[in-house]
Amino acid sequence: MINPTETIRSIQNNVARVIKGKPAAVEMTVVCLLARGHLLLEDVPGVGKTTLAHSLARSLDCSFKRIQFTSDLLPSDIVGVSIFNRQKQAFEFMPGPIFANIVLADEINRTTPKTQSSLLEAMSEAQISVDNQTYPLGQPFMVIATQNPAEYHGTFPLPESQLDRFLMKLRLGYPMPEEEKKVLERTPSLHPAEELRPIVTAQDVLDLQAQADNVFMDESLTDYLLSIVQATRQSELLALGVSTRGALALNCATKALALARGRTYCLPDDIRELAPLVLSHRVMVAHAQGLRPRGFEQAECIIRDIVDSVPVPI
Amino acid sequence: MSLDQAFRLTSILLAGVSFIALFLESHLPGWLTFLTGVALILALVRVTASTDDSSPGARTGLPLVVWNVLVILGFFGFWVDCLISGELLPAGVRFLLVLMVIKLFTLRCFRDHLHLHVISVVVMLAAASLGANVWYFFLFLVYLFVGVWTLLLLGLTKQLEGPDMSAPPALASQQETRGSYGRLTPQVFRLANGLALFVFGVTLFLFFALPRLQAGFYQKGQGAAIRTAGFSDAVDLGSIGPIKRDPRVVMRVEPSGRVPDGKGRLYLRGIAFDHYDGRSWVNQLSRRRVVRETGPGIFALNGSRGEREMLARPSLKLKIFLEPLDTPVLFGAPFMEAVSGNLPAVQVDVGGSFYLPFPGVTPVEYVAVSRSPAVLPADLQPSPVVYHEAFLRYFTQTPARSDRIAALARTVVGQERTPYGQAMAIQDHLARNYRYSLEIPLAEQANPLEEFLFNRKTGYCEHYATAMVIMLRTLGVPARLVTGFLATEWNEYGQYYVVRQQDAHAWVEVHLPHSGWIVMDPTPPSEGIGDMTGSWQGWASMVDHIRLLWNRVVVQFSAADQLAIVQGVRISGATVGQKVWGSTSRWVTPPTSWRERIVDLYDRSTAGILAAGGIAILAGLCLFLWLGWKRSRHGRVFSKGGIQGERRAVTKLYTDMILYLSSKGIQKPVTRGPLQFLDTIRAQWTDAFPPAATITELYCRGRFGRARLTSEEYAIAQNKLHHLMRLTREQDGEMEKTGAGNGI
Repeated sequence: MINPTETIRSIQNNVARVIKGKPAAVEMTVVCLLARGHLLLEDVPGVGKTTLAHSLARSLDCSFKRIQFTSDLLPSDIVGVSIFNRQKQAFEFMPGPIFANIVLADEINRTTPKTQSSLLEAMSEAQISVDNQTYPLGQPFMVIATQNPAEYHGTFPLPESQLDRFLMKLRLGYPMPEEEKKVLERTPSLHPAEELRPIVTAQDVLDLQAQADNVFMDESLTDYLLSIVQATRQSELLALGVSTRGALALNCATKALALARGRTYCLPDDIRELAPLVLSHRVMVAHAQGLRPRGFEQAECIIRDIVDSVPVPI
Repeated sequence: MSLDQAFRLTSILLAGVSFIALFLESHLPGWLTFLTGVALILALVRVTASTDDSSPGARTGLPLVVWNVLVILGFFGFWVDCLISGELLPAGVRFLLVLMVIKLFTLRCFRDHLHLHVISVVVMLAAASLGANVWYFFLFLVYLFVGVWTLLLLGLTKQLEGPDMSAPPALASQQETRGSYGRLTPQVFRLANGLALFVFGVTLFLFFALPRLQAGFYQKGQGAAIRTAGFSDAVDLGSIGPIKRDPRVVMRVEPSGRVPDGKGRLYLRGIAFDHYDGRSWVNQLSRRRVVRETGPGIFALNGSRGEREMLARPSLKLKIFLEPLDTPVLFGAPFMEAVSGNLPAVQVDVGGSFYLPFPGVTPVEYVAVSRSPAVLPADLQPSPVVYHEAFLRYFTQTPARSDRIAALARTVVGQERTPYGQAMAIQDHLARNYRYSLEIPLAEQANPLEEFLFNRKTGYCEHYATAMVIMLRTLGVPARLVTGFLATEWNEYGQYYVVRQQDAHAWVEVHLPHSGWIVMDPTPPSEGIGDMTGSWQGWASMVDHIRLLWNRVVVQFSAADQLAIVQGVRISGATVGQKVWGSTSRWVTPPTSWRERIVDLYDRSTAGILAAGGIAILAGLCLFLWLGWKRSRHGRVFSKGGIQGERRAVTKLYTDMILYLSSKGIQKPVTRGPLQFLDTIRAQWTDAFPPAATITELYCRGRFGRARLTSEEYAIAQNKLHHLMRLTREQDGEMEKTGAGNGI
């Protein structure tokens, strides 16, 4: 049996060798993995979204595929296609890049809703249906999608109902000057993520996920979590509150975070920390001002306010 | 030095002391001794050199799995060792040491140190069962001392400091100025003293209550015994020589009553030899018979000698402590008549030597009663005496081709006619004309006696004595050679003789018609071998005295002594009872003089002290048990309400802390989590952070985790809260200062 805290920390340290100065983002990425969730990275280009996904994949001894989303990408380019085999006189399914443990969906908002939805179906069901045939995906399965909020020409923003499939939405932000200096001092010839070695196997990840399920959450904390969710539904600032799936997601993420912090039980602090990350992309702001990303930022602020208004259990 | 470091240091010292005890008591293989020594030194160096408390074991290099595999290998090695050597305990001891070495290399956490303590206790026990050396006593004292310190530091590192748990906060806050955080507190001292008292009490109890083996229980029988020469039925001439340089103590002799002749030389007779074949002496009269036990533990020869003789010869009583030897001979001054002591049986041979039925494995203590030989005036006049033929056959036997010796004897005695005069003449001749030396290997010679008498003219006691016996025999005087010890070393401290291997000696017994056997010694007094200087001599004899006391008081402490103590306690108990009853009348009647009372008290002091000691020990044990019971009851009260009760208690503790902190100006908003609040505390009041962190951690575990909490943890958290409440918040003062500054 592996030691969860040490293993999780070693994954984080490994990723942090590449992603400098972003320990919180790295931790949340790992938490997302432990909670069997998918991650949406949203930020301006060039702050390390893809590198983060890449480093995480390199740290795990899992299969990793990257799909660059473009406007002409088709669903079959993701899930795979059936091809007629002349020798066997039958159709043969050629699995697409989605058949991997870690899938990096780069620039997800650049492709058409048709292709987006084919990916999102795979995310929620963990299986693929082609030609009336169902193919289960490998375990663990995690999609890390990135999107660029700054550019809107030729993009198809994901609707809220589909954003719901992602456990968390993270923003990286610019690094601190000294961290940025370290990035510049690195040897440019090699991609930094290529230097990383796998730390854990796929089976270890599954074990960790199982352990995260066993983390204890006190009844009072469940009530606390639900009262936060309830508050989003009653808030006048939000047109749409958090769904039950959102509450479930927060529950899973809380347990995973507690495990990552070396505990076998959840604390109110875990919920407070995770609520903005897990909930803000699941709500609709009532009077959104400006463009969509502004709306996201507003949603995050509103969720923080709501969390600060709900008393924690003593 | 931090407390933790000190704790680790004492742990290793504990292991070291137990190892030394084992090393002194048993024969360890060299490689294991070396390995353990190196491991101990390395561990010591690591502890003293490291300042990093977090990972002291991180530098051992090998992963823990390898060590665990080594332990398993060691276990198999133990069984293999056991099967090969056929001895369970020595193999177990070696396995224990291997375990200790492995543990020394893998001292990572608190629990590893506890394991080390357990191993050292077992090693100490093994050492106790392997021997009964006096050094063990000192090492045990050191062990007890280090052990108490280890326990004390164990208590300290577990953060059991702070005021008494039951002290209300109001009282505790009065002591604010003292700030006892991280210091030795009365509670810790009480803990350490209690434990020391407990250990001492248990030790004393075991000492008095358990039966004695009078040796190491698993001590090797023959291996440990001292090899002697000259005390078997046949002895080569020259065999005493090699052992004349061995300073090991063979026995200690305490004369009771009259100290023997002023010269300070005491002959301790071993075996008499009657037959000499030119190269070696044989005891042909070695047939032994059992000596009748005339009283409990008293073995006396039948009074064969006449009443007059008995009165004429003064008796000498020697108390002898005989180390384990490879011979069953019981030594004593010439000529022994009775032996008493805790002996299974005593035998005697025709030559008058006393024997145990088998060589003693343990030290033997006995009293030998002897009648000193004396020359009667009748023997100074020549008087023809006809000896029995058989007597002459044994005691005037000479080896073949001894004509030259006979001629020499005749020249030496000259006109002397009495046997006594002849013997004196030969003794003088040998002592005057021959030189004493241990350097001469005469044993290789075809005829060592002639070589000694006519060529080399140097030799040692055996040669002198043999020469005298044979010369007397050629003259028709019955004589025999006797081996034994000549005690010369007098211990001033203990008033006893120390007899060493190098004191082995051979001398002559001559039979006179009227006086019987008398002792004569032709060997000139040798120049003091290894004469030590004054102060060193004094020191050595004091150490030897301590060793004798140890043997007598501790090792030889017997069931009879235990019975005597019990009886003493009973008698003194009765005396105390009488005193209590009689105390009322004493106040009425005029008291007897103080002097009488003191004398009275002194008479009963031995038993009284023992009784008082026993009562004190019992009281101490009761107190300790009561404290333990109270403590466990405290634990039960805490967990009476089950997990819900614990949760309530720990929540109460946490809310108390919040209330107190809010009174100090640090508010906890209802919407903040406990960890977030802890960050707030750290930011606003750094001193309060460590205790608050402990309380918060316990609260989180007890309130939101399903963990069961122990009463110790709860007590620690309570102490932390009291400690927190005694802290003064510096910020108040600073604020006042800045306020004042603004005012100016």
